[in-house]
Amino acid sequence: MSGRINFMLAVALGFCALMLVNSQYQARRLFIELERIQAQARQLEIEWAQLQLDQSTLGKHARIEANARRDLNMVPVTPVRTQYLMGTAK
Amino acid sequence: MKRIVNLPKSPRVAAAKGVPFSSNPELKVKLPVWRSRFVLFVLFLAFVALTGRALWLQALSTEFLQKQGESRYARTLELPATRGKITDRNGQVLASSVPVRAIWAIPEDVLEAPKEKLRELAKLLDMNERTLRSKLDSDRSFVYLKRQVEPQVSDAVVKLGIDGIQTRKEYKRFYPEGEVMAHVVGFTNVEDLGQEGMELAWQKTLSGVIGSRRVIKDRLGHIVEDMRAVREPQDGKNLALSIDSKIQYIAFTKLKEAVEQHKAKAGGIVVLDAKTGEVLALANLPSYNPNERSVLTGAQLRNRVMTDTYEPGSTMKPFTVALALESGRVTPETSIQTAPGKITIGNATIGDAHAHGILSVAQVIEKSSNVGTAKMALQMQPQEMWEMFTTVGFGQQPKFGFPGAVAGRVRPYKSWRPIEQATMSYGHGISASLFQMARSYMIFARNGDIIPLSFVKISDQPIGQRVLSEKTALAMRRMLELAAGPTGTAPKAQVPGYRVAGKTGTSYKLVGGKYANKYVGSFVGFAPASDPRVIIAVMIDEPSNGQHYGGDVAAPVFSAVAANTLRAMNVAPDSTVTDIIIPANSTKESV
Repeated sequence: MSGRINFMLAVALGFCALMLVNSQYQARRLFIELERIQAQARQLEIEWAQLQLDQSTLGKHARIEANARRDLNMVPVTPVRTQYLMGTAK
Repeated sequence: MKRIVNLPKSPRVAAAKGVPFSSNPELKVKLPVWRSRFVLFVLFLAFVALTGRALWLQALSTEFLQKQGESRYARTLELPATRGKITDRNGQVLASSVPVRAIWAIPEDVLEAPKEKLRELAKLLDMNERTLRSKLDSDRSFVYLKRQVEPQVSDAVVKLGIDGIQTRKEYKRFYPEGEVMAHVVGFTNVEDLGQEGMELAWQKTLSGVIGSRRVIKDRLGHIVEDMRAVREPQDGKNLALSIDSKIQYIAFTKLKEAVEQHKAKAGGIVVLDAKTGEVLALANLPSYNPNERSVLTGAQLRNRVMTDTYEPGSTMKPFTVALALESGRVTPETSIQTAPGKITIGNATIGDAHAHGILSVAQVIEKSSNVGTAKMALQMQPQEMWEMFTTVGFGQQPKFGFPGAVAGRVRPYKSWRPIEQATMSYGHGISASLFQMARSYMIFARNGDIIPLSFVKISDQPIGQRVLSEKTALAMRRMLELAAGPTGTAPKAQVPGYRVAGKTGTSYKLVGGKYANKYVGSFVGFAPASDPRVIIAVMIDEPSNGQHYGGDVAAPVFSAVAANTLRAMNVAPDSTVTDIIIPANSTKESV
């Protein structure tokens, strides 16, 4: 009788040990995945900063003015040619 | 032990010859018992020593071995923190850090690499092979090959797979607006530390705190586990300046045009928001490109608006007149005899450019009469004037939060002689920075109170400190409007569609303690005069193309900047006059 119990316990122990190995493996795998995704997030953040910088560089006023004057033949407005729209008094 | 002769060659041969093993004579030798005991004892001692050593290593001084073990799988990683961005008030990026890499080498290892690989490396790093070799020809074990390399290039370098080439992460700061913003934003050095301007003033806020984590890495270099809580890196905070990049650009380009046109040595301009005290623009010329600082001169770096003082000249007159009005000594209509255009005080004589005859107080400002102002000043106590100058910030250490801002100079009133009191009333013998001048005009632009200035965007209205009564402030505003009108000293300051007010200033420069034949032309004004929104101060240093009066060199800059700024800020026009009359012979102010 006690031999049977011992056998059962031994089987259970073996099973648990294997499960432990498996879950440790899973934990590590997930952890690596997490690391990878966090790195990706950082990368995207860097890219975003880079794009903001590009936006600023391309949208800087000196460039806009140069383009407007040279390529589009635009001139600055003067008050003479401006129609002001006043909001009606409340 | 010596062998006994006549012994068979081996025990097996001996046995075969019938000699029994036990009769081996060697076994018959009787050795003293203590010898075997002794050997046993020595062996025992050896075991004790081993056990002791094991005990020592495993139980008593565990540190060493544990450390050795850990160093084979545990790594401490540095978690970098990025420096905060600097943006303008509308969120446009003015300074941003981008990760780049520094490429360094262990020369001894790299030189063993095949020739063609080194050639390729040189090509990637954009330097010729000889330079690369001379860099590697060093006794040191660490040589930077190139710093602040774009990530794509560094990836390609790593791919070459040369032994001894390593990369290190670092940041490079970019300034998209370049020279336009240079003096406000400042710059950082290669170690990402602020050196000038806002980068320096807000270094603590902008710079992040590096974090760290201790991890276990597996054979492939993957991180498998954190060994202790991660110390999160803290990125630097972003900083939103009060600067409006559009207004800044307008101010910079208009100033640049004027400096070039008048062949001036330098120039400065400040635009303040009269309602909130925010600095909307601040520009200096000559300027520099903060992205390319290999050839920088002191003149380019100098932030004249903040750190240079000059004698403000006539732009100071309104304070004297305001004080006279405030103390009830005069009204705007009071007549003052300024003929014959000069006045002798003690043994010095001061004079006007033209003799004006009898002027009202308002006209003294309009025509910028030194004599008229001096006469008003002489009615006052030095202490009153000193208090006036000090309350509006002259001679006071400024609290603008800008590195290097100067206090200017107002001497203690007890040492004023009457002639000095007279010259100070029209801005000589007193010095201030252009920035202080711009701020002091707040009392006219804001119905008599003065508020603190800010370089960063603010959300709540600052509380003002009253200097003048509202009545005086409004009277002064009307006078200043006349000065910036067709009959004043600055008709060129007029702006189509808006009423403007302001005062010109022209002063000699002090060179080595003496007045030289060099001028500073300036203009400080605000617009629209009916409800001032912006205060603009312009200074042109040493104009040398024929004109040097503030009304000729600085006022047109004011006009152009005010016109564009008000339009950019969507301010409704308060005047229907759209064609500006500039009289051919405008009033010249006195210097």
